[in-house]
Amino acid sequence: MDTIVINGLELHIDGDGFLQDPQLWSDEVAAEFARMDGTGELTPKHWEIINYIRDFWKESDMAPTVRSLCKQSGLKLQELYGLFPKGPARGACRIAGLPKPDGCV
Amino acid sequence: MDDLIYLDNSATSFPKPQVVYDFMKEFYQTHGVSPGRSGFDRALEAENIVHGTRKLLTNLFNGTDPNRLSFSYNATDSLNRIIMGMLSKGDHVISTNLEHNSVLRPLNHLQRDGGVEVTYIPFDSRGYVDPGDIEKAFRKNTRLVIVNHSSNIIGTVQPIGEIGRRCRKAGIFFAVDASQSAGAVPIDVQAMCIDLLAFTGHKCLMGPTGIGGAYVGEDVPIRCTIFGGTGVRSLNPFHLDEFPYRMEAGTLNTVGVAGLNAGVNWVLEQGMDKIHAHEIGLWDRLRRGVQAIDGVTTYCADDTENQNPVLSLNIHGFEAGDVGTMLDVDYGIAVRTGLQCAPQVHVQLGTDKIHGTVRFSVGPFNTEKDIDRAIAAVGEIAAIKR
Repeated sequence: MDTIVINGLELHIDGDGFLQDPQLWSDEVAAEFARMDGTGELTPKHWEIINYIRDFWKESDMAPTVRSLCKQSGLKLQELYGLFPKGPARGACRIAGLPKPDGCV
Repeated sequence: MDDLIYLDNSATSFPKPQVVYDFMKEFYQTHGVSPGRSGFDRALEAENIVHGTRKLLTNLFNGTDPNRLSFSYNATDSLNRIIMGMLSKGDHVISTNLEHNSVLRPLNHLQRDGGVEVTYIPFDSRGYVDPGDIEKAFRKNTRLVIVNHSSNIIGTVQPIGEIGRRCRKAGIFFAVDASQSAGAVPIDVQAMCIDLLAFTGHKCLMGPTGIGGAYVGEDVPIRCTIFGGTGVRSLNPFHLDEFPYRMEAGTLNTVGVAGLNAGVNWVLEQGMDKIHAHEIGLWDRLRRGVQAIDGVTTYCADDTENQNPVLSLNIHGFEAGDVGTMLDVDYGIAVRTGLQCAPQVHVQLGTDKIHGTVRFSVGPFNTEKDIDRAIAAVGEIAAIKR
């Protein structure tokens, strides 16, 4: 587990860069994660998706499906990858401060 | 979605034959009682299905005694009972790099905590384990050889008859993980010298999830590792030594057994060889199609002989997980990505460093149209990075 400091706050991240404690997420954390993974400056469209992911996660304790993410944002998957080059899970969900999704990797 | 192309049959076969759904519903509505133990007619009829399924599977594997066919939750459950029931401190066990975590993790725990030594045999560049390599690893204290009959990542079918004969000659017990092969290719526990066979019901045997089992050969001194109710001889303070009780405790998943019964009968009616010919023909179509696409790498997919219909690939410039997401969302194709719970296969292939592979696995209800759509989808995704 690694530690990074954002705005003076010490944050633990796993080996894939996912925030260990989602409660410590903030807009500043999202912006820094986006800068670190090459997503770049977050636009209103980025924030629309990030906020949707966070709202869904708070409601259901899980990440939304990629299909619902596309439907909600009105973007095709390729366009979503255009916004988040690391993809919906390792990009958008990570920037939104969610824990690493379960999967056999 | 209604037009989902399901190519994740190695995880679980889907859909099931209609007769499986129908029989489970009918059975559970009319015979959803505790089998045998209460003695009334419905209970005895339910027990008939359970024992009939033991016989059906014993015949399928050419066993000799249906009572040595025990039920469990799945292959992992049976493999745990086999591994924990056969190995003790000071024992040596031989396995392969093809194993699923259902074998690796119990062995790793025994190696770390139980004083058991483990040797893993690598596979060759085509995906096969050499029986001679296993024999070379025999030691004086080798108690068990345990081999994955058919890899859940590359689909290669191992020469278990040859391995079994070498084990028998050396007086070493031989266990087979038939998760991906039971119902797909012939298994003969006598001719192949298999002492312990673990299988699951929800893959090629076309049953539901939550039901699996094991066949234990005669003269195999497996210890009981699960203790509890058997429905008979309740005054005995200890779990019963006789089969199938030695391998079972508590009320069985009878509706699962019923579904498995219907699934096995469906496979036998269709003909295992005909199902396999259909699936491997589609696999070959898929293999040829994707291998012709620039930027696609396949793994150990050389020909159709000794092969089950499982194909792993990567597309240059993409993470496997992203390809899986694109296939799902943009093309309606369900596949499995990542390490597929068999990490040592990926370590040997080098795909562990790139988060695994994209795995396509064909089932009896897939069609040429499904395969052609999958090939086209892979082609379109690969073209993005060119």
